[in-house]
Amino acid sequence: MTALEQLLGSNFLPGFLTGMSVNFEIAALALALGLVLGAVLACGRFCGRFIAAAAGSIVALMRAAPTFVVMFFLLNALPRGGGFSGVMIVAVSLVPYTAAYVSDSVIDALRVLRAGSRLGGLLILPNIARAFFVLVMSSGAGAAIGVPEGITVLLREAVKMPSLGEKLALFMIGVACFGIPLQAGFAVIRLVQRRLGRTAPRSGTKLAHGGALPSEP
Amino acid sequence: MSSRSVEPRRCAECFRLGDCLRVVAVWLGIAGALLCLFAGAAYAAGPPDAALAQLLRDARAEADTPGACAQPAVDRLVRIYCARQIRVGVRTEYPLFATLNEGVRSGYEIDVVRAIARRLGVGVEFANVKAATRIPMLADDSVDLVVATMGDNTQRETQARFIRPHYYQSQTVIVGPRDLAVTGWGDVHGLNLCVTVGNGSNAEMMSRHARLMLFDDAEALPDRLADQTCTLAAQDNSFFDYYFTDPGFAARFSVKFGLAQVPWGMGVALTGADRLARALDLMSQIFHRDGVFLAAAHANRIGERFLRQQQVRWRRPECNTDTGSNDPGCVIPPSNATLQPTRFSAGVGAFEAWFGRLTGFPLQLPMLQTQPAWLLFLDGIVNSFILIVGVLVATLGFALLFGAAMASRWRLLRWTARGITIVLQSSPILLTLVIAAAIIRAFFTYSPAVALGSAIVALGLTNGGNAGQAIAEAYLSVCAERAGSHISRTDLFVRALSRAATQIVAFLINAAKGTPIASFIGAPELLSALTDISSFASGRATTYTLVLIFYTGIVIAVVWSCRRFQRFLERGRLLV
Repeated sequence: MTALEQLLGSNFLPGFLTGMSVNFEIAALALALGLVLGAVLACGRFCGRFIAAAAGSIVALMRAAPTFVVMFFLLNALPRGGGFSGVMIVAVSLVPYTAAYVSDSVIDALRVLRAGSRLGGLLILPNIARAFFVLVMSSGAGAAIGVPEGITVLLREAVKMPSLGEKLALFMIGVACFGIPLQAGFAVIRLVQRRLGRTAPRSGTKLAHGGALPSEP
Repeated sequence: MSSRSVEPRRCAECFRLGDCLRVVAVWLGIAGALLCLFAGAAYAAGPPDAALAQLLRDARAEADTPGACAQPAVDRLVRIYCARQIRVGVRTEYPLFATLNEGVRSGYEIDVVRAIARRLGVGVEFANVKAATRIPMLADDSVDLVVATMGDNTQRETQARFIRPHYYQSQTVIVGPRDLAVTGWGDVHGLNLCVTVGNGSNAEMMSRHARLMLFDDAEALPDRLADQTCTLAAQDNSFFDYYFTDPGFAARFSVKFGLAQVPWGMGVALTGADRLARALDLMSQIFHRDGVFLAAAHANRIGERFLRQQQVRWRRPECNTDTGSNDPGCVIPPSNATLQPTRFSAGVGAFEAWFGRLTGFPLQLPMLQTQPAWLLFLDGIVNSFILIVGVLVATLGFALLFGAAMASRWRLLRWTARGITIVLQSSPILLTLVIAAAIIRAFFTYSPAVALGSAIVALGLTNGGNAGQAIAEAYLSVCAERAGSHISRTDLFVRALSRAATQIVAFLINAAKGTPIASFIGAPELLSALTDISSFASGRATTYTLVLIFYTGIVIAVVWSCRRFQRFLERGRLLV
């Protein structure tokens, strides 16, 4: 029996799925925080010139801040990680990306709404859902600080695999487990976007994102 | 009668013989007793004992002198007699050495402190210290003495006066799961190695390209090993000794290998504590010779090998003198941890002080202070630029490749490219990096260049695949619009590039933003370099703030450059 067969016969899969649930938890936390901050920043961008410029600059900075560096900054620069747990550090490190993305999406949606397309404005919902799946994938960065999410579980087991072939087979299981919900989620989003696009042909909002994924944080 | 007379004579002869024997025996006894007495006296009241007794007598007398205790420059030894107690900094959560449970202190170091206080004839006031506070507390006069698992190295010798001979010795060991095959540095690439900030062995671990995860306190390490946050942990063997007494821990983990040994020293302040230091030097000699340290070690079930060796050494006549603690043949030298300062370190120090006075923020720039840190920092910056440029070029190259393949006439090529793109999209970027590193390392031995190359390929593939998909979709839409017209496939492809310019640029920016993640597979870029520097130097807050500013600035510059590139691509649409 190979090491991989032994692993699959053990309780690896339940452990891995439990780890993946942490990825979803991180993504949900990041999205919730990002929605609040992003909405505030979007409102700011519609206010007077000074506030709009300040909000725009903040969004530009947030868009440029790499998640991985933000995560290490939170972990090391704040005393005792700012009192955050590992899960929370990863979630907060994803907030700049999320807030910037939400802010842009809200502004697009408002523009389309002002142009008279209510359904076009609703395209913000699939865009937010798309961001959620991107966040799930990006939360794998937590492995670098030992957060017990899916990638961490996978890498722990991979170091025990004696051959490259077995390691790659294990990695492919991980890719499939992450990929299936992601691709299914995007398929649903594309379907919703197509429906909304058909009913709101004048809408130009974020349909440019259709097809390829939005940039990761 | 004759028998009577004979008897007395014979008895007299016997008496004389017995008397002689008795006298000889008495003299032999006296000689033996004197010999034992002299030998015993030499052993029990040898030079260190006499010197110590004299030193303590003088200090006590000075403390009893009216007004002496109020003198500002009085030595700490005298002050201890003035206060009739010694203030000692000890740890609280270092099992077997110093713990504090429900107000009760116990451990080897606690017993050593109590033995010192008994010898001085004063009480003890304990203070809690941590690795990061033990030397500052000596410097600001919060404690007279620190006995807190402190390794004696050349760097710390400039911050505290270490007592010699050393009272213990430890070795940094790498501990990990039993079923993990790690036998040396070659096996630690890609594994999380958890260390405490300031550990004397961090510089060595860093030079072996281990991926370090930093912790403030050693106490967190066993828990982080248990919950698998850390794949490996590095700490003194003395620390892990306790955990290996737990059958559960011992069943799961084992010592993989060890690093250089470090002697532990008690510390006193560099200034104003000369007589206290001298008294403790002598006391430490005596404690080794008389087995006081050994008895404390035995009572607390810690390793005794070093202390047994020291006992033999300090019983030797050449070491058992009042100058023994200064004899290089008797004492162990501190481990060498001095880092060569940069030629501009003085200026950097002055700037830090000026900035601190101006803003109240304790700015620390460890990457500019020492030569190894400075070289790491420079390498990190250069490697980051190589990585970013490499990733941008790879992303663009893969985008064109995937775009062309997905827009190809050949179905097999189209579906292959699409399949690879879907797999790449489905894999979290960290996993893609690890897979790329695992494949590339199967063909090449590890080096920083190999790690950089792996990262460039992985980030380029992921972002290039997505951008390629956007190009292919744009190509299809251009084809649909131009159906029936006679435009070459090349012209259509250029037009598709123009149409997909926004997406291409978005993924180029994404690729640049993703470069710091390459540190996860050991690419020596700036984040990785500064993490290494933080492991042996202070100033983590400044260091990570700088790395955040650096990467945010780089991404802003890339965004600006990409926007120009986007305009260039969009102009292509007009030209075709």
